[in-house]
Amino acid sequence: MAPTNQVLVNESSNVRTIVLNRPKQLNALSHEMVSRLLELFLAYEEDPNVKLIIMKGEGRAFCAGGDVAAVVNDIKNGNWKLGADFFSKEFRLNYLMATYTKPQVSLLRGIVMGGGAGASIHGRFRVATDNSVFAMPETALGLFPDVGASYYLSRTPGFFGEYVGLTGARLDGAEMLACGLATHFVPLEKLSLLEDALCKANTGDPNIINNIINEYSSTPKLKETSQYFRLKTIERCFSRRTVEEIISALEKEADKNMDDWIAWTIESLKKASPTSLKISLRSFREGRLQGVGQCLIREYRMVCTVMQGKFSRDFFEGCRALLLDKDKNPKWEPSKLEFVSDYMVDRYFTALDDNDWEDLKLPARSNLPSYAISKL
Amino acid sequence: MDRVNFRTQIISNHLTTTQNNNNNHNLTTLPCINYQPPELTEPRPYFDTLLLREIIDGPMFKNNDYLFSLMKQSTLFCPRNRGGKVFIGPDFNKSMEEQREMTMKRIEYLRDQGVFDGWFEKEGYEGDLWRFSVAESVSVFDHSLGIKLGVHFFLWGGAIRFMGTKRHHDKWYKPTETYEVKGCFAMTELGHGSNVRGIETITRYDASTQEFVILTPCESAQKYWIGGAANHATHTIVFSQLEINGVNQGVHAFVAQIRDENGNICPNVRIADCGHKIGLNGVDNGRIWFDNLRIPRENLLNSVADVSPDGQYLTAIKDPDQRFAAFLAPLTSGRVTIAASAMNTTKIGLATAIRYSLSRRAFSMVPNEPEVLLLDYPSHQRRLLPLLAKTYALCFASNHLKMIYVKRTPESTKTVHVVSSALKAVLTWHCMRTLQECREACGGQGIKTENHVGHLKSEYDVQLTFEGDNNVLMQQISKALLAEFLAAKKRNKPIKGLGLEHLNKPAPIIPSQLTSSTLRTTQFQTDIFCLRERDLLHRFVTEVSQYQAQGEKSKEHIFSVTYQIAEDLGRAFSDRLILQTYLDVEATVPAGPLKDILGLMRAMYTTIVMEEDASFLRYGYLSTDNAAVVRKEVPKLCSELRPHALALVSSLGIPDAFLAPIAFNWVEANAYSSI
Repeated sequence: MAPTNQVLVNESSNVRTIVLNRPKQLNALSHEMVSRLLELFLAYEEDPNVKLIIMKGEGRAFCAGGDVAAVVNDIKNGNWKLGADFFSKEFRLNYLMATYTKPQVSLLRGIVMGGGAGASIHGRFRVATDNSVFAMPETALGLFPDVGASYYLSRTPGFFGEYVGLTGARLDGAEMLACGLATHFVPLEKLSLLEDALCKANTGDPNIINNIINEYSSTPKLKETSQYFRLKTIERCFSRRTVEEIISALEKEADKNMDDWIAWTIESLKKASPTSLKISLRSFREGRLQGVGQCLIREYRMVCTVMQGKFSRDFFEGCRALLLDKDKNPKWEPSKLEFVSDYMVDRYFTALDDNDWEDLKLPARSNLPSYAISKL
Repeated sequence: MDRVNFRTQIISNHLTTTQNNNNNHNLTTLPCINYQPPELTEPRPYFDTLLLREIIDGPMFKNNDYLFSLMKQSTLFCPRNRGGKVFIGPDFNKSMEEQREMTMKRIEYLRDQGVFDGWFEKEGYEGDLWRFSVAESVSVFDHSLGIKLGVHFFLWGGAIRFMGTKRHHDKWYKPTETYEVKGCFAMTELGHGSNVRGIETITRYDASTQEFVILTPCESAQKYWIGGAANHATHTIVFSQLEINGVNQGVHAFVAQIRDENGNICPNVRIADCGHKIGLNGVDNGRIWFDNLRIPRENLLNSVADVSPDGQYLTAIKDPDQRFAAFLAPLTSGRVTIAASAMNTTKIGLATAIRYSLSRRAFSMVPNEPEVLLLDYPSHQRRLLPLLAKTYALCFASNHLKMIYVKRTPESTKTVHVVSSALKAVLTWHCMRTLQECREACGGQGIKTENHVGHLKSEYDVQLTFEGDNNVLMQQISKALLAEFLAAKKRNKPIKGLGLEHLNKPAPIIPSQLTSSTLRTTQFQTDIFCLRERDLLHRFVTEVSQYQAQGEKSKEHIFSVTYQIAEDLGRAFSDRLILQTYLDVEATVPAGPLKDILGLMRAMYTTIVMEEDASFLRYGYLSTDNAAVVRKEVPKLCSELRPHALALVSSLGIPDAFLAPIAFNWVEANAYSSI
């Protein structure tokens, strides 16, 4: 494939800095970008001249996610398999990053959402900063947190992952660090100094890299109103077996002690696609007990079922309401949680009934570092 | 000249040896041992591992996973990072008292997440399956947690449910579900365990106050091993002889409060601790004495018999034997959970030992070559793979037991009793044997508590004797089979039930010259298992009738001297039953890779039973020649199962977090930097 200007690479001896360069779209990952990233990561793994990969975004965002509007457009114009191809590449990239033999440092300026989270959180070092905003907002779009979110969100403390993934709650840099989605926090003004230092050190040794990032790190204070202080309530409510029970547990909390946060939490669950909520919850629950590869294979089944649109067309409706028409008033179908049967949910987790369709084939890995092995 | 040649030879040998020694320096320059996850080195699964997991976990597997994930997410379950992975498991280095408190806190956590909501309301067989699933899943984390919960919900709650009537349900269900009332179950005494009818606690009725008065008349009547009694329980079920107007009406159950809401022991009750145990220290087993404790008349659990306010004994079942059986029948659920938990524990042991054997190497076949994976040694395969195949067979049997229990009818009581006795014994014995083998297969790593396999032995040893001593249970099976046989003969009708119908057919013929392919046919496997059961039953009948012919009157005495054949028969019955349930499962799987694997494992299971159980040779079901063919088949089957070892272990469905560091990256887990 011809090199694209949507992904730029700066070479500095043994360090490769990959820049997501689609600033007008907040660096949303296009098919072209995902293909290029996959190509780069595969090549760098073999290339003895590459020791360290730095990922960052051009402009005010790191990456706002996969370019789903384009995917929906592709699907409308014919075959959902084009979309399947996009997700297959994206998920394989996620898997590669999660099991990469060389360290990846992601500098998370601005927005890190959906596919942008997938392109960074799987890597070894995730540096949050003052203006980082993390979210997995898929349930509001009629999709579900994909790109391996069922792996990394389910590994956050308690049931914080269910909360973040179901409500689409936004986390700031301090919260990302607190729940482990970020490994470090570096103040915005020091971020480019850190980048220079990493290039200068020119090393692939994770311990040395860790020490360098630590030099620039500081410990941010959680805001007084931070949702992270609500972990206990989150645990009590989001640990429930079903989405219905989660909502009713939240409503009970609200009866006892109503505040803006509870109101917002209930509201965002009620606004989200009922199908999305149910499949997302099940995905997190399964993901908690699985390796990253299994998670991605399952999510691929799910995303293909979503695109196939046999059981619900909420993804198209969500994209219409939020991205295209922007009326912010999606009409979900089924419209209520109780109309989404277990049978329907099960369909998202089984292999597709389609002759040309195949389960996600993950690239073979060998000689993995222990850090990556533990994710298997 | 010869001498010269000889000398030259010796010297040159020395030189070559020296050279070899030099070469040995290479050994020091070999790279360090890296952990290779078996997922990367083993072949891809030949069959759908998820599908097999659904089969062995049964319809409740999603509920199991939900509970696993609840436990994994709470710090109360002691998450530890080892080699980049999080493992959970109790801290056994804590004192007995601390372990008990942790068990209680974990239960409260599960309660707070709503796990027990609707415990008594869930109806039908799905309700039963759900309750089993809760108990089994928490046992995967810790046996103490499972037992503590089981005592409260299945023994205390089960007694209220099945032995009590509406007035008890209305009063106790809700506070039991919320743990406002913490129940225990006082049946066993110092002097009587398996023989419940011999217990010595006495309860008399006082019509003037309409109260029962419970008395521990002597030291041997003290209640013993009462789980929950030492620290936490507020209420107990008391099993006691009921004496009305000087007449003993046999064993009955009562509800008594033993602690007040502040945890103080009630008057006329004395409680002591059973002390530290070889395992299960998270359960507070205690001893109880009753000093004429008075309880209201309504506290008699009166589903089978009642006492009227003026002191009349009322019952619909006149025969005390039948009354007692009707009384205890619903408590069979204990054996069902024990059998299922034994299988889960076996899975933990095997998954750990087999995963370890797929990443740990020892000795090179050729100097300077890489060392050999443990599971590539035929002897190591022989130790672990037959146990793996057998575990699958026993899991199917355990599911079968669960299904006949939850779908029980008054007519099926006997079958449920016999099958639960047989499987409780066979499955728990298998569990202990497997854990011992797995512990040895892991070498020194097997004795580290955090690696589970060794420690689980002491945690689960108790299952061999509680809810019925295994040996006693096996003898009971033979007694039941004998009774069936004689009853059919007396009625002059074909024998029916317990899978004994094959006795009505002519005896199967075993080929005089067995071959590898014969050994793998369903026909042969069924034939030889049926032949063994049938012949042993006939032998047992003959032996018993010989004693009777010699004038021996006491049936119990006859049974006590025919124990050898009775135990052989008990095993033969169990093995045939297990094979039958296995074939039933296999029949539901469409032709394809999974069915092939199930067939291979069935061949392994049946072959290993024939190889290990002496009765096949002792009674001549196998000739010595055929026994040799059987023995030769074992390593062949091992090598055929070897490529599927990892996939079969994955299908066991125990989440990684519940396994041990040696099952994964044990190099990293033990690295100096990880201290």
